[in-house]
Amino acid sequence: MPLMFKKSLCTGCKLCQLACSATHEKAFNPEKARIKITHEYREDGIHVTSKHCTFCKKCEAACPEGAISNNGVNMIVDRDKCIGCATCVETCPTQIIFIDVNHKSVICDLCGGLPKCVQWCPKGAISLFIKKKAVA
Amino acid sequence: MNSFWGKLLVVDLTNKKIETRRIPEQWVELYSGQKGLGTRILMEDFSPGTDPLSPENRMVLATSIMAGTIVSSSSKLAIISKSPQTGTISDGSVGGHIGAELKYAGYDAVMITGKADSLSYLYIDPDKAQIRSADEIKGMGTFKADETLKAMIGDDQVKILINGPAGENLVPFSCICSERYRQLGRGGMGAVMGSKNLKAIAIRGWLDVNVPDIEACMEIVEHIHQKDKITSSDNIMYTDGTPALVEYCQDSGLFPTRNFQEGTFTAYKNIRSNKFKEIRTQKKACFSCGIACGNYVKTKTNVVEGPEYETIAMGGSCIGNSDHEKIVDFNVFCDNLGLDTISTGGVIAYMMEMTEKGIHDFGIKFGETDKALELVKQIAVKEGPGAEAALGVKALSEKYGGREFAIQVKGMELPGYDPRGSWGMGISYATAPRGGCHMSAYPIEKEAWGKIDPFTFKGKAQLVAKLQNDQFAKFSMGVCDFWPINSKTLGRLFEVTYGGQWSAEKVEKTGERIFNLQRIFNIMAGFSKAQDTLPERFHKEVLKDGPPKDILMPKQDFSKALEEYYAFRGWDNDGRPTKKKLMDLGIEDKLIQAYQQTVDGISKTKIK
Repeated sequence: MPLMFKKSLCTGCKLCQLACSATHEKAFNPEKARIKITHEYREDGIHVTSKHCTFCKKCEAACPEGAISNNGVNMIVDRDKCIGCATCVETCPTQIIFIDVNHKSVICDLCGGLPKCVQWCPKGAISLFIKKKAVA
Repeated sequence: MNSFWGKLLVVDLTNKKIETRRIPEQWVELYSGQKGLGTRILMEDFSPGTDPLSPENRMVLATSIMAGTIVSSSSKLAIISKSPQTGTISDGSVGGHIGAELKYAGYDAVMITGKADSLSYLYIDPDKAQIRSADEIKGMGTFKADETLKAMIGDDQVKILINGPAGENLVPFSCICSERYRQLGRGGMGAVMGSKNLKAIAIRGWLDVNVPDIEACMEIVEHIHQKDKITSSDNIMYTDGTPALVEYCQDSGLFPTRNFQEGTFTAYKNIRSNKFKEIRTQKKACFSCGIACGNYVKTKTNVVEGPEYETIAMGGSCIGNSDHEKIVDFNVFCDNLGLDTISTGGVIAYMMEMTEKGIHDFGIKFGETDKALELVKQIAVKEGPGAEAALGVKALSEKYGGREFAIQVKGMELPGYDPRGSWGMGISYATAPRGGCHMSAYPIEKEAWGKIDPFTFKGKAQLVAKLQNDQFAKFSMGVCDFWPINSKTLGRLFEVTYGGQWSAEKVEKTGERIFNLQRIFNIMAGFSKAQDTLPERFHKEVLKDGPPKDILMPKQDFSKALEEYYAFRGWDNDGRPTKKKLMDLGIEDKLIQAYQQTVDGISKTKIK
């Protein structure tokens, strides 16, 4: 159940990153967000990119300490087990995992159900993708 | 708590010295942030008589307390300096991300003095501040220079203020650009940068910004955003942005046309908002802004974020241009060369009228837009007729005549609103500290589009003074113009991002204090009532169409309103704040003393 990002609706305001860092890191700092948007003018026009957890679970498989698991919806980091080795950082295909000041891995946990980035996005560019379960 | 770091980076380009100084907490209490705090920093041990293009002039970059927080539209960066265009204080601001970036770099403000011995740029991040060579980007247009500098630094996330060729060539109405399409447009700050041999200021930050109670802050800010419908998808600033004003101004008969000879433009439908929406491909917001007023448009020949209303008026109707794609070209040329679109349009319009009236042949007439676009390029490098145009409307009219239609106040060309359609705007233009600008107050909203009679000066002195105070508080405390916020809400936002108690009264008094501070700067710089005027055209000629049709705005009525304005402000008959007023406002003794000495000096000169 990853986050869905719609480029055409994004205005590049970074309220998502501010809401994320405020919620999890208790500070306003877009660098410490678990979602990172770039929205910039280049020579050939506007460039929009989003980095956010796609729930690919590669970090879980790679973690040598078994500190990363998932609950079927989002990744979970066991901060007691995490040794801050950054294997997950290197493995992450979207390069969105980072190691915080306490040397622990930081991965999006969807805020436990209602992601703040979704809630704060003023233009509805971020949403939760809910996969329909196949009915037997 | 570091929504206020208390840190001023002082850069002396002459001696290549960089140091950090403390900013007294008391200055935030008195002047909050951004243009208020920046004005105060500029005035510390500074002579307002300083030559604006001398190394002694200062550029103070100031961010707001709310910058970098989650408060919407709060990250504008102001540059306070003495203007080479007007000789007054100058306090332009720029949107985008750079205001927040400075906060994340660990500074509230940067003061740049002196002159580098070769073309340089300043690099600032939390670990270092360095003066570096900018030889590689000398003379380069702002678009390419921005990209090149990012590559030179090796960081595509760095935010840059870049000076264009016009600023390098000291054009008095040159602007500073950021992120390609965000401009610090007015007051000739590009020329100040140019005079310092400074091509760019690159800023990168990654520090935490903390507020007293972040959870309470988030909750209150979210509530306020909802209450004020900031993120609403039917906010006209989102659906259209400033081009929406074309129709408002046309309908009110104050849409400047052919150098303010008319207030309606017959071809306005070709340059109204819908035309730009047709070529729009994306919306764009500044940092932390839930509104997103920016329009990214594409034509056959060019792309731009814009054009904003002022550019449409000054590069459209005011020069007789009804081709919206050519307005985009005009916008792109000005941005890339580093020229203020308002003043550039204004000076071209004046030259067109001079030529058509046969007073002086500048070789360009209304509607000759291709020639105008060529002229824009020549202004930036001061070549051919561009060398004349680069003087600005005031100096040109002193040289060649046509003073009654030199549409400027204190040397600053007027923006896109004819004051004959909103008389309060006339008082605002005349008394705005930086000259003829629309950011000091915007009574048009209440007059032309509200319930107050636009065609009288009755009650306008009070209305304008109050609106100016509100506006000065709003910008200094940190919110963009496009959030119609009240003082109570503004105070609440300041409380949750800075702390303390900020009642509506305190907020309004802060605005009044900053307005007075800028006024005393100007008086110390040699300004008086004599410069609080409007172009003669507005008193002598009537508009021929729209609501202001055939209504004369008499000069004696304007002068009387100005007297009322001074009295309401607690100023003397010559428009000088009284010592008592300044003391009541709590302006610091040492500033009052310096000011008093100037005023006493002026009185003595008079007696002689």
